[in-house]
Amino acid sequence: MLEIKDLHAGSEETEILKGISLSVKKGEVHAIMGPNGSGKSTLAKVLSGHPSYNVTSGDIIYEGESLLEMEAEDRSLNGIFMGYQYPVEVPGVNNAEFLRMAYNARLVKQGKEELDPLDFDELLQEKMDMLGMESKYKERNLNDGFSGGEKKKNETLQMALLEPKLAILDETDSGLDIDALKIVAEGVNKLINQDRALILITHYQRLLDYIKPDFVHVLSKGLIIKSGEKDLALELEAQGYDWLTKA
Amino acid sequence: MTGTTIDQTNRPESQVKELFIKKQSENKPASPALEKFNKAAFEKFEKLKFPDRKHEMYTFVGTKELVSTSFALGEAGTITINQADAMTNPASKNSRIVFVNGAYSESLSDLSGLGEGISLEPLSESIGKKEVSDYLLESLENENDVFAALNGALLTNGLVLEIAEKAAFKAPLQILYLATDSDSPTVHCPRLLVLARRSSALDIDVKFSGGGDHSFVNATMDVILEENARISFTQFQNNSAWHLSKLKASLKRDSRFLVSSAMAGAKLARCHYEMWLNEPGAELQLNNLSVLRGEEQAHNYVQIHHKAEHCTSAQLFRNIVDDKARSSVDGTVVVHPGAQLTSSDQLINNLMLSDDCRADNKPNLKIYADDVKCTHGATVGQVDEEQVFYLKTRGLSEATARTLLTRSFAESLIETAQSQEVAQDWRNVLLKKLEANA
Repeated sequence: MLEIKDLHAGSEETEILKGISLSVKKGEVHAIMGPNGSGKSTLAKVLSGHPSYNVTSGDIIYEGESLLEMEAEDRSLNGIFMGYQYPVEVPGVNNAEFLRMAYNARLVKQGKEELDPLDFDELLQEKMDMLGMESKYKERNLNDGFSGGEKKKNETLQMALLEPKLAILDETDSGLDIDALKIVAEGVNKLINQDRALILITHYQRLLDYIKPDFVHVLSKGLIIKSGEKDLALELEAQGYDWLTKA
Repeated sequence: MTGTTIDQTNRPESQVKELFIKKQSENKPASPALEKFNKAAFEKFEKLKFPDRKHEMYTFVGTKELVSTSFALGEAGTITINQADAMTNPASKNSRIVFVNGAYSESLSDLSGLGEGISLEPLSESIGKKEVSDYLLESLENENDVFAALNGALLTNGLVLEIAEKAAFKAPLQILYLATDSDSPTVHCPRLLVLARRSSALDIDVKFSGGGDHSFVNATMDVILEENARISFTQFQNNSAWHLSKLKASLKRDSRFLVSSAMAGAKLARCHYEMWLNEPGAELQLNNLSVLRGEEQAHNYVQIHHKAEHCTSAQLFRNIVDDKARSSVDGTVVVHPGAQLTSSDQLINNLMLSDDCRADNKPNLKIYADDVKCTHGATVGQVDEEQVFYLKTRGLSEATARTLLTRSFAESLIETAQSQEVAQDWRNVLLKKLEANA
């Protein structure tokens, strides 16, 4: 589904990713871990098409097509979802209305008819019930004044609605207390299936107690320095990153 | 003595003089008291003169083209009842006052939906009463805006609206200032005085519309709020060519004046607000949204006087400027000696969508009391790129994302309109302008 080939990328003159290769197949959950400044968030931003980051060499192939020339909205419409570390607050834009616009943009892309507000509300309510979210999320403005936990729940709701093929969750767990983390992880688990792939970017092993990865990769100084199965995460938790980064 | 003689006959003020003399002779004022007022206003006009480029009240407003244009006085025009109905907010079908080309139209106006407690009188009659004539003459004496003086000089009549003590109404009153198209420059000078008696309450929805490319609407409105009166006042400038208006309010004890205004801009549009919080407990809200494109202009000049203790004023201005449009907000709050425990906030937000647009801001505070809470500020910015990107990663196109964010900037002010109907009316015009951008 996703093939990252010797990816070099950075912002302005600074190269941050120095040759990353990674292959993700349908139904797989990959965790990318690493210390601060290792390039984790840069990788997420590059995958989502952020204009401040440039790819200098290498390629990202998604479903047989290079992402490099694809705008952020087209990546989204083609089934890539980026869950933000810091979801952006957008005052004055109603959450439910925004969700409907995003949902309908996808329907239009698929050549289907848009949902009217009533039908959409039904769907939205269903997803919110699934995630145990109160209806106040509909009336509020997009992430405006939301707490950290509320923002991450709202990201999970967007993911549930947009039903991506590939979800990249950037530090979804950071800043969450354990109860909020459980709720968000539960929501994500409900969305995992055979047709989807998930990339979890995280600093802490804690998240992986709740969402079980198939593969774990350690990123350091812009390179994947070790890949393994889920036991690697436990090893990292016990010993920290030093034994790898200093090797 | 050597030197050149300046040809006084070509000065724009001379043209106004000709216009004034012509009007007084051909269109005899409706009462001697009104004639006296016209004359006094003309004298004031001559004293004030048209603003030059450095005039402190017109710092950001270029009036050169306006004052060098020769205007004829607006003549009676025809607006059909269907045309007026189309402009009317459905809730005000039987509660509207219509001015056509500056003059009150009895046939188009209808107050039957309001019932008891509201009365109308031509200014030419009211001005014979001490209360009205004292107020108008004192206002004129202190007038510092030449265009308001010009309104007084050129007005053929006006209207006095009285809201009886303790009267309250279910329907909002709509005031429509309509103008017909004309082929040559024409000036209209409507005037309205609202007397809100003690503990009365009314929602007023003012709309300026029509007039084509050659009309100049020079309107003056005065609102006097007695003790505990409440007036909610929305105002929508959506007429063409030149629009200058002055809204003056005087607030007595515990009265509330809640103003929400919207401007679609014009070749030159300017609103002057002169607000007096004269007695304790008075409360003023003043909001304005301008959405400007092309070479449109919209300017606001605000003077708020806190004369007494425990008064509150809150202002929020939002301007969206694109292309070569220009906006300005020049606003001063004066806290007079003794006006302790004043609370006053002023915020001006500008969203600038092009390299060639311009937004000037001059927030100003003059405080002569020591126990007050006053804030003011101004922001200037573009659409937030991180917000645009966030929306794009959810599948919205760049254009849709930008339109949505620009709308949201406007929406927070539109929501302060007094009713959903008014808000929708504003959206239909102002947000449509933004869509054209996408």
